[in-house]
Amino acid sequence: MEHLLTVKDLNVTYVNKNRRVMAVRNVNMAVDKGDSLGIVGESGSGKSTLAMALLRLHPKGTEITGQALFEGKDLLAITKEEMNELRWVKIAVVFQKAMNALSPVHRISEQIEDIYRVHCPKASAEEIKTRTLELLKLVNLPERVYNLYPHEMSGGMLQRVAIAISLLHHPQLLIFDEATTALDVVTQGQILKEILEMEKTLATTRIMITHDMSVVATTCNKVAVMYAGELMEFGMVKDVLTHPHHPYTQGLQGSFPSLKGDNKKLVSIPGFLPDLSKECKGCVFAPRCSHATERCHKEKPPMVKTGEAGGAACWLCIGGEENGK
Amino acid sequence: MKRFIVRRIISGILTVLVVFTLNFALVKSAPGDPITSLMGKETDDPVLREALMEKWGLDQPVPVQYFNYLKNALTGDLGTSIIYNRPVNDMIGERMMATILLGLTSLIIAFVLGTLLGIFCARRDGSILDNTLSTISYATDAMPSFWLGLMLIILFATKLDIFPSQGMYNVRAGYTGLQYVLDVLYHLALPCITLVLITMSGYFRITKSSILQVTNEDFITTMRATGMSERKIFNKYIFRNAILPTVTMLGISIAFLVTGVSLIEIVFSWPGIGSMTLTAINQRDYPTLMGVYLVMNVSVVVVMIITDVLYAILDPRIRYD
Repeated sequence: MEHLLTVKDLNVTYVNKNRRVMAVRNVNMAVDKGDSLGIVGESGSGKSTLAMALLRLHPKGTEITGQALFEGKDLLAITKEEMNELRWVKIAVVFQKAMNALSPVHRISEQIEDIYRVHCPKASAEEIKTRTLELLKLVNLPERVYNLYPHEMSGGMLQRVAIAISLLHHPQLLIFDEATTALDVVTQGQILKEILEMEKTLATTRIMITHDMSVVATTCNKVAVMYAGELMEFGMVKDVLTHPHHPYTQGLQGSFPSLKGDNKKLVSIPGFLPDLSKECKGCVFAPRCSHATERCHKEKPPMVKTGEAGGAACWLCIGGEENGK
Repeated sequence: MKRFIVRRIISGILTVLVVFTLNFALVKSAPGDPITSLMGKETDDPVLREALMEKWGLDQPVPVQYFNYLKNALTGDLGTSIIYNRPVNDMIGERMMATILLGLTSLIIAFVLGTLLGIFCARRDGSILDNTLSTISYATDAMPSFWLGLMLIILFATKLDIFPSQGMYNVRAGYTGLQYVLDVLYHLALPCITLVLITMSGYFRITKSSILQVTNEDFITTMRATGMSERKIFNKYIFRNAILPTVTMLGISIAFLVTGVSLIEIVFSWPGIGSMTLTAINQRDYPTLMGVYLVMNVSVVVVMIITDVLYAILDPRIRYD
């Protein structure tokens, strides 16, 4: 089956005068139509960098290699103009800090009109308003929001506005870059619920970038776990979260409290992220891994198949020597 | 909005009154008095002194003097200069034009040039041109204006003899019409260049840093993600957000226009308010001094009110009430 988005050997390197930070290394992943993929990892794991690279919104002087095929077009190779045509019509994004996601000195209506007219230059103000009010209703916001300034709204409202704006042109792929991270748990829960509701009527594919396992568990069907710029494990959410293969995924799980079951002691993964400006010979997680062998420090493990649609990059998963405990 | 403006005007009037009173107290409490200047050093005739004191009303109790002055000032009469025996209104009127000509011309040039260069360099951040201009801007910002004025006089007036070193027009030539205008512009060049060089760096740096800051804001990334053209993003979203600090600075500069150019007026013998004030201070010419202070005071308050209102229009986050 043709994937909606295929990422092949993606490398993103931030180049500075005297430093090269390899923020994303050799990432491969595929997203199918109707999927909701959660990309999880701790801060600095390269998940946002990955999204920014796909959207070509990376800062100047960033080196990107690899491919990102979206409907047969390589997002990383097409011209600026071709990319601009795809933006918002096919691929839209909702950013982390909703509080700053809109210009503070322009009314919401004015900004939406401008954004809408990027792709429909002749659209009338009436038409845009009708469409926006439809979307505002979808995210449970009152109509009066349309004429407000960003500072007149709460964080939750702004996040909903940002989601509504992302849906203006019915995009096929929607990327949420830590979109609910800054919100309180109650508002986050409500918004996640609304997103799921929305998707019943809209046929969108979603990539959810987050560090919150519970967000992935409730709203995604697939998950990709990243660590230090590399993909550690991927697969169906129900498989990965119940039977994680990679020691890092297991560690991540151990650091989140469980609502059901016993009060287990939370375990944090000891150590810190490695220095991404240095080349790493073995497995990037080896220095923090409690199962690491000599081989892990010397050779990079390949991605091996785990289960039906999953994969994990770990020597322990090779040769049936599984480690799920 | 209406209430906001009314409130700002009321607080402005109160400010003027308070500063007016403080000025009166300050001028009165300074040692020396105008009668001594008027009589000269050698003569000290108690009868003459008394007569002069009575003539200028200085024999009356200070509170009475204060209220008399306040009453006259409210009707727009700033009194008569003790030293020159002329209405202060006329004296300020004559000199004000020269100060405004110098101050406003250089301010507008500095604002336009500084802002444009700031925008220009912000879009080429880190380039050689940007680094050069930034370094120069630090240097000119650190220079004392009178020193720079003197240096320019030495270079352009004394050594190269391109521009006149002092005055506002050629007193001997007696030009009229277009010739007079050109002559004034010719005399305006050096003091104006001095002021532009000194004040431009502020606009340059505030515009540049403001644009760089706004460019890195998240909402600009949002706009880019929507596929909006860079030109539209810059012209509408970056510019409108980045202009706010520049407006504040422009307001402050206009408010302090008169005081800001005083030193340069003295260096270039420009017949403006600044040089007149200095003379008035030396001779303890109370009415002239108070008149100048009052005009400065009112102009600062008025411009600040205008700036506040303008800012409230430009930035919706400012609350009107």
